[in-house]
Amino acid sequence: MQKIEINLTVNQRSYELKVKPNKRLLDVLRNDLNFTGVKEGCGIGECGACTVIMDGEIVNSCMVLAGQARDSEIITVEDLESENGLHPIQKAFIDAGAVQCGFCTPGMILSTLNLLKENSNPTRSEIKDGLEGNFCRCTGYKQIIDAVELAAEMMRD
Amino acid sequence: MQEFNFLQPENYREALNLLNEYHGKSKIIAGGTDLIVDLRKEKYTDLKYLIDISKLDELEYIKEDGEYIKIGSYTNHKSITKSDLVNKYAKILTLGCSEIGSPQIRNRGTIGGNIITGSPCADSVTPLVALNAIIVIESKEQKREVPIEEFYEGPYRPKIKANELLKEVYFKKLDNSYQGDFIKVKRRNAVSKARINIAALGKIDQAGKVFDIRLAPGSITPKPQRFKSVEELVKGREPDNEIIEKMGQKVAEIMIDKSGYRWSTEYKRPVIRDLTKRILKTVLEVE
Ligand code: FES
Ligand code: FES
Repeated sequence: MQKIEINLTVNQRSYELKVKPNKRLLDVLRNDLNFTGVKEGCGIGECGACTVIMDGEIVNSCMVLAGQARDSEIITVEDLESENGLHPIQKAFIDAGAVQCGFCTPGMILSTLNLLKENSNPTRSEIKDGLEGNFCRCTGYKQIIDAVELAAEMMRD
Repeated sequence: MQEFNFLQPENYREALNLLNEYHGKSKIIAGGTDLIVDLRKEKYTDLKYLIDISKLDELEYIKEDGEYIKIGSYTNHKSITKSDLVNKYAKILTLGCSEIGSPQIRNRGTIGGNIITGSPCADSVTPLVALNAIIVIESKEQKREVPIEEFYEGPYRPKIKANELLKEVYFKKLDNSYQGDFIKVKRRNAVSKARINIAALGKIDQAGKVFDIRLAPGSITPKPQRFKSVEELVKGREPDNEIIEKMGQKVAEIMIDKSGYRWSTEYKRPVIRDLTKRILKTVLEVE
């Protein structure tokens, strides 16, 4: 198994890496680059804990091989906080009590970010559709949907 | 995760050459949403090379070509659900693709991957069967076309050789006198694979008779197929509730005939009967 060279941008910074081809984007982000906001839940594309934004779209990073992410731009939850503090979506999740154990939260927040980019005023049912690929094992769905509504409101103002 | 070498061809021709060179020892990876699960299970003992087509723009398109719509194999489900062309001329494919997985899966998973995996419950395949879609397959030496209904030997067994690549799927545009629908019954409301799905198209002529009817129930028979003997019951006739009732019963009988009597049959029989009735009422415009 020959190692491959990949170049990718994570949270606006570019990296050059040599990795084994059977590594997933998830492994590279967590283990090589230490973005531990990316979580591994099921490992088979069902829970969304490993969600990242890749070239503008949400993907499960457990379902992308490292080599397939070559030359792409990745955003993880670590990118959201700025010198002005937490991102409105992060604030909304805290204010709405949408974080219990927090394991699903990074994925939920990134799915929310893209959902609100496409639809700045989603209905509750559109929110459910947008977060369809993210499971919360603490089952705090009501608070999570509240949080997205709150975030949408904060970001519109 | 099993080990392999990773090859990233620069263009489509090169991908075909690689497949030819590493005949039997290689596999294509597209969106990866099915394949990576299998790689984790270390399912492919002979696999030495993965050939990644995810950077090949040549295989990513939805285009109108005369009376056809053509879709490149590396086109993801999200692009299909957002396509105005598909929505206008083949709405049932829009409906099917929007039921696949989750937003994350629809962003990565491709129509080619869905066809090649060959799961009996693939949400894009059932509509493609109703659309009489044709699959274009190419190897280094030759190109061939196969109707999607003839493409499977059984569940998860597409008829494709180790040196062949799925290039495109195409089908005739439907004019707006067609009614179409797609229904899926799932276990939960999100990320589920279909337990049963069904796609249908119908066209009624000026005299109120059925000019065309295509009924494709998915995931209840080993191979995806139209139920032509059921379609015949209503073809050329004025549709009514009585015929539709009969058609629903017959679909359930054929299911048991082809798949055998299983633990799930008691559940599936009334469900498929009623789904068939429901979808036929919609596409044949019966109250
Ligand atoms: S860990 Fe990737 S979807 Fe569950
Ligand atoms: S807060 Fe625990 S998994 Fe969602």
